[in-house]
Amino acid sequence: MYKSTTHPQSLMPHLHLQELTKQFPGVTAVQSLWLEVQAGEILALLGPSGCGKSTTLQMIAGVVQPDSGTITLDGQILNRVPPERRDIALVLQRGLLFPHLTVGENVAFGLKLRGVSRAEREEKAIAMLRQVQLEGFADRKPSELSGGQAQRVALARSLIIHPKLLLLDEPLSALDANLREEMQDLILRLQAQTEVTMLVVTHDQAEAVVMSQRIALMFEGCLRQVDTPEQIYRQPYDETVARFMGGVNFFAAEAHGRQWRANDLTLFSEYDHYGSVQVTIRPEQIQVFTEGRSQTNTLPATVIANRFTGTQRRLTLAIASELTLQAWVTPTQDFRVGQLVWAYLPPSALWYFPHSTVPHPVQVP
Amino acid sequence: MLRKSFITLVIVVLFLPFLPLVIWSFAQGWFFPQLIPDQWTLQHWSQLVSPTSRVIEGLLQSLAIALITTMLSLLVGLPAGRAIGVMDFPGKEALKLFLLTPIIVSPLATLMGIQFVLIRLGLNGTLLGVVLVHLMPTIPYMTLVLTSVFANFDTGYETQARSLGASPLQVLSQVTLPLIAPGIVVGALFAFLISWNEFLLTFFVGAGRVFTLPMVLFTLLQGGNNGLVAAVAITSVIPGLLFLLLASKALENDTVLGGFGNV
Repeated sequence: MYKSTTHPQSLMPHLHLQELTKQFPGVTAVQSLWLEVQAGEILALLGPSGCGKSTTLQMIAGVVQPDSGTITLDGQILNRVPPERRDIALVLQRGLLFPHLTVGENVAFGLKLRGVSRAEREEKAIAMLRQVQLEGFADRKPSELSGGQAQRVALARSLIIHPKLLLLDEPLSALDANLREEMQDLILRLQAQTEVTMLVVTHDQAEAVVMSQRIALMFEGCLRQVDTPEQIYRQPYDETVARFMGGVNFFAAEAHGRQWRANDLTLFSEYDHYGSVQVTIRPEQIQVFTEGRSQTNTLPATVIANRFTGTQRRLTLAIASELTLQAWVTPTQDFRVGQLVWAYLPPSALWYFPHSTVPHPVQVP
Repeated sequence: MLRKSFITLVIVVLFLPFLPLVIWSFAQGWFFPQLIPDQWTLQHWSQLVSPTSRVIEGLLQSLAIALITTMLSLLVGLPAGRAIGVMDFPGKEALKLFLLTPIIVSPLATLMGIQFVLIRLGLNGTLLGVVLVHLMPTIPYMTLVLTSVFANFDTGYETQARSLGASPLQVLSQVTLPLIAPGIVVGALFAFLISWNEFLLTFFVGAGRVFTLPMVLFTLLQGGNNGLVAAVAITSVIPGLLFLLLASKALENDTVLGGFGNV
């Protein structure tokens, strides 16, 4: 089981999940999950659908009871606290504005439940709507809003009660591409203003990377890796993680210290290891030159495919015998299929997974 | 244009049978060769409101029974409909089928047994006994209507409301009930009309002591006073029609059930 140990012990975690387990008939949805979220942090819980991340969210929200384990928020054990007294606000994927209420009434919903007077809650709702750039929308019906607007109202409705923790369930996935960026900026700006702790649950690695300070990657009910987005990209825990984060280059090698042998090739890495390993390198990290250089890790290659994606040029390179790698270079660099080139694999970019099951030491900082 | 004339045709066909009733209720005798009666009178209508005809008494009892029946079937149908509509459990399909049995099986088949039980309980011939037997057809209808309403209901709204600080009771009153209100109106309409028009069950279980409007109508039909029968028949249609109009008004500007209100 992977434990997140990235923070000094003197710092009490804001949200602390300890050995959280939930079984449904026939499946273990979540298994002995440990997770710490610091106050004011944005953490993304990322994983493919069915990995247990939604169940985890529901347990934190209090909708689903864990079979065992504890949920602690701000020093208080929440297991037996009903959802309405947890101080945890939800923003669900579909927005879910109450259709029988106006936008203003939706935003003020939590205040009304807390017995705030009508005048005060109207004033606060209008101020909150201004913060999500929906001034003047208070009297509209939710059915008159676009998807992005509805999502912003949902955000305002949750933030107005100043929750200790804000849970966001796939907040961007229902929106189209250009709206996503706008929404993401807004969420991050509001988070910076309110300093609310945020847990974003998503299956979309791009959403997780841009939204969060740390990512907790979850597969089949277990956490596999908890790290900064950069760290997960550069040093994935295993091949599953690497593939999930968009890794495409994998090959077997024999490591002798920093010198790794794959077939006839000798590569140099920054990482020290002995024994057979699985090597990976991100396709963006490979540099491609048309002229030869006398540098380590610079290998002659043939371009066998060239695909233009607009922001990138995706090359498939045949290196020596039997090794095919993808290199994603800037679109301004152009290559012909069949062209002979030089591929440079930076030693710092060559990462490995040992074939043994023992977690490698680099994992725990 | 074609659509409009078609609707007009339907309305005419539906309401045409009421025309003779209306004429009868104002006629002082209406015999074969006459196309319309020679003499008109308000006598039947004044007879209707006089206590001797017991029409008002029947009307009030019918109303009381129908309202109590509707309330009770809502009380059972709401949680049952929610459970069947939202949750997944083994035997759900069988339960749905089982719910239909009181509608499929004729009450004649079960009446003897029911009456036997009610007599033993001392409920035969009481208002409560009649309400109980009216619940037999109304609960399945109510439950089935609310099941389909809850099947389309997103429980995410409830989760959302609770995370904002609403207790289960507040969720029910401020979120769930307002959202499924159109479904409740439809279910209540069904239950009310079934109870309002129920004759056979009331006749046996009421044992002549519970005197609802259909009982009044039945007694009068035997008496042969056509004018009064017509007036009572018209009266008996009015509450249902009013309820229907109110319901369709309530369903008109509804966003939750989509096109349900345009039935």
